[in-house]
Amino acid sequence: MLAILVGTHGNFATELVKTCEMICGATTNVRAITLVPGESPDDVVKKYETAIAEMDTEEGVIFLNDLFGGSPYNAACRLVINNEKYGIVTGVSLPMLIELVGIQLTDEHLDIKEVMDKAVEAGKAGAQTFHASAIKEDEEDDL
Amino acid sequence: MNIVLARIDDRLIHGQVATVWAKRTECERIIVCDDDVAADSIRATLLKQVAPPGVKSSVVDIEKAIRVYNNPKYEAVKCLLLFTNPTSVLQMVEGGVDIKTINIGGMSFKEGKRQITGAVSVNDQDVESFKKLNEKGIELEIRKVDTDKKVMLMDVLK
Repeated sequence: MLAILVGTHGNFATELVKTCEMICGATTNVRAITLVPGESPDDVVKKYETAIAEMDTEEGVIFLNDLFGGSPYNAACRLVINNEKYGIVTGVSLPMLIELVGIQLTDEHLDIKEVMDKAVEAGKAGAQTFHASAIKEDEEDDL
Repeated sequence: MNIVLARIDDRLIHGQVATVWAKRTECERIIVCDDDVAADSIRATLLKQVAPPGVKSSVVDIEKAIRVYNNPKYEAVKCLLLFTNPTSVLQMVEGGVDIKTINIGGMSFKEGKRQITGAVSVNDQDVESFKKLNEKGIELEIRKVDTDKKVMLMDVLK
């Protein structure tokens, strides 16, 4: 199974995983890794390693980080550089995490790079806009 | 019409439906079947805006839902039907719509209802309609998402 590690500044990761479970139901191979004030990137590397040791990583490991260039991201880079089955995607969001939990449950067996592409796609598609001016009757959609 | 899922969920199109169920059922269209919602133009308009990518959504009253079901034009279309209550489902079934199983995702608590599970509350009319659906041999299963274990509504109704 694909292992999903959500690594963020503060408790964002923990709460994001909880929120995801509200929508998708309980998850099995997802971990939240947090960097709290006073901790260093080394501490985060250790947290990642401890989590990975306990997870099913047969189909690779994906790190979902909040900020490109932030400490959780930098720590993940140190592990990813040594393993081709690992990958990082930044800008983690709820739509992105839901998409990946969905991938875990399918039997598609995607390559880690394909998983990364799907995560980026879901993150982008999750940013939509709505304004009253956008409302129009779409006749084609009517039954 | 190919009914891939018939679900009672008074939140209608929301996170669990738009992400999990739409994907799992591979539906082409989500049809909200409800007289009150169809009569509320703002609610109906907003519901049409939130269909997941690649899925069409419609809001119709029960009478129209039955007409659409019988329209040969939609014979092969994979549809996810959403209801707010079991009485609407019963009307559809009595109108000739072939529904074999109903997924109950959420019925919110209101004054005059009793809570039977965390996500499901029913009033007397709901109970009456569920009993009639059950008598017709229709499966009534409570699940928020597809990976949850099915809880049979008639078991918790007692």
